Amino acid sequence: MSITTTGNLGPMILQSLAPAMLYVPTPTMNYITVCDKVSMPANGGTTIRFMRPRALTPPTVQLGNSGIDPPAQVPQRDIIDAQMAFFGTGCIINEQVILQDQEGVLAWVSERLAVAMRQAEDLILRDYIVSAASDINAGGGSNGDNPTNLGVSDFSLVATTLDTNNAYKFMTGIEGMDRFGTGPVRSAYFMLSSTELQSDFDALVGSGFLSQWNYPTNASALPSEYGSVYNVRILTSSEAPVARQASDAGNDVYYNTVLGKQAVTHINQDGYSMNLIYRDPYYSGMLAQNATLAVKFAQAQAITQDTAIRNLLSTRASNLGV
Amino acid sequence: MTEYSRMAKGKFTSTGGAQIVNLPFQPDFVELINYTAAATPANHGIPYAYWDANMGQGFAIVDLFNATPVLITDSVDLNGISTFSAGQLLQYGARQQVVGITKADPAVVTVTAHGLTSGDVVIFTGLYQSATTGMPQIDGIPFTVTVLTADTFSIPWNTNQSEYTALSASPSGAYMKKVLYPYLYEPGVAYISAITLGTTTTIDTTDAHNFVVGQEVAFRIPSSWGTIQLNSLPNTLTPGSPVYGYVVAVTDYNTVVVNINSSAYTAFNSNQPFADVSGQSFAQIVAVGDVNTGGVEITSGSALYPPPYISPIGTTRVNSINGPAIKGAFFNNTSQGFIVGAGTAAGDTSSVLVGAVSDVIYWRAFLHDLSIP
Repeated sequence: MSITTTGNLGPMILQSLAPAMLYVPTPTMNYITVCDKVSMPANGGTTIRFMRPRALTPPTVQLGNSGIDPPAQVPQRDIIDAQMAFFGTGCIINEQVILQDQEGVLAWVSERLAVAMRQAEDLILRDYIVSAASDINAGGGSNGDNPTNLGVSDFSLVATTLDTNNAYKFMTGIEGMDRFGTGPVRSAYFMLSSTELQSDFDALVGSGFLSQWNYPTNASALPSEYGSVYNVRILTSSEAPVARQASDAGNDVYYNTVLGKQAVTHINQDGYSMNLIYRDPYYSGMLAQNATLAVKFAQAQAITQDTAIRNLLSTRASNLGV
Repeated sequence: MTEYSRMAKGKFTSTGGAQIVNLPFQPDFVELINYTAAATPANHGIPYAYWDANMGQGFAIVDLFNATPVLITDSVDLNGISTFSAGQLLQYGARQQVVGITKADPAVVTVTAHGLTSGDVVIFTGLYQSATTGMPQIDGIPFTVTVLTADTFSIPWNTNQSEYTALSASPSGAYMKKVLYPYLYEPGVAYISAITLGTTTTIDTTDAHNFVVGQEVAFRIPSSWGTIQLNSLPNTLTPGSPVYGYVVAVTDYNTVVVNINSSAYTAFNSNQPFADVSGQSFAQIVAVGDVNTGGVEITSGSALYPPPYISPIGTTRVNSINGPAIKGAFFNNTSQGFIVGAGTAAGDTSSVLVGAVSDVIYWRAFLHDLSIP
């Protein structure tokens, strides 16, 4: 008896495309999340201007009985300008690719372009904050470096600094509940940090760090929220800024941005925050061979409350996984 | 030509140092014509040079005048033509061993074949001569360098103070790294190296501040640095209201004058204790805003609508690729293009790819659709 196998009667087609695309590893984009959003109008020139009134001196001296008015105050304001810039990228796709490839090339390239644009927005904000916000070196850790690894006193110091500056916190507190293993969460600023520091945060459990999982309720927790220390809630991302081998001892230096509301503003122009542009091959050369897919956007950014933001620089206590 | 290729041409006058050419793309082929060298043949002159991406970064093929002078061919193997994409911060060059740093004002650093140009920015790590001596107080600070020789440069910091000890004999772990793109978003924050008190306050920074007259600034002075009265909070007159200063004069790339009367303030102290390095923060000046309007200053030869600029060294101005903006506005200074280096031909170390000072150089740059293979 002979058995017919794939050895002598193989399938005509050896490959089959799996029905779903594999995911693309993509960092969490925290910087755009915490920015104020402002749209600059069309025909509004190149530069957006913010105005912030200054406080008037409170009249704490009594008038007395002379009947004479005190001198008038001169109101003042601070002006912050930011210049718009334009960005874009695209792909040229030959019609034979569109015609012959089994997968929906235009669909997934469109999706990739959109993600690239959103990531560009985030990276621009990230680098801008590194450039424009002042910094504090962590000194509460125990590794002896400069900056040190993060200690709980560093969280306290930076939150105290922002509180003293009358910054607005992002989040209200979460009351304690009668649930095992949970604890109340203070009203808080956000700290944008690196996923590479998560093991350092875990090492602070018991001395101030509360994992997001141990909040009384997770209703207000952001997807990238790792936990909180005192008045700081920590969002982590793998694209947080790191200066490699830049500390006193030659270790990696992490820029942990701690900020309150309105500290950084993201500006687009006339809703020009993203255009996805598809041009059919009809618009290419004589033989109309190539389609193009592209995205472009306009973006400016400004630190609009310099008193409400600090980069808390730190190194790392634990080894980095690879 | 194919449909999506990119071509660009232009010219520059050589300064003798590396020349950056900004383009809306990174070319894969560049050719140079040194008009001055071609018009006046002389030994060591490089009238023509070519670079293809397949040669690798920093390479070039050149035509070179020999002693006769007739043209011969040669190659530039280092500091030739390269492309760049200045789009993200915190990128560094290779670590280089620090041979020594003097106890002086300004401090002079020795790094064998440092390859830097005046205006470049570097950081240091591990500046210990021994466990208890050295100058780790300046580790992590970005410094603009002024090149003295191929192996030495100065940094704007006074190390001739009691807490600093000179470095020598290549201490283990003492490194320097070049900051590749230090000024992508300006104006921003700068570290302070010195403060001169008076009816106005003069601030020296460690790298380019990139402020303009009318810039509104704030200070972050940790207590150990002395002049904490400059800090913007708390303000005793109006509690909770930040106090800012305005730049009233820009002396050069790292010196500005601010309209704050600091006559009675505590002196600035950069003689930071060696023992307190761990956890030490630095004194900073940070841009807050500006008081400028849309008007632009028009002077002889100036652009009608000038773009924002940076000033990396001295009083030079390097324009961004942007359109006009309010002076002092936060702007994006990212760019890409190619660099013509000051490398020499392998067979003639007296030649210079980028030419001599005042040489007029024409360039063409291409990015091809079709590149085989």
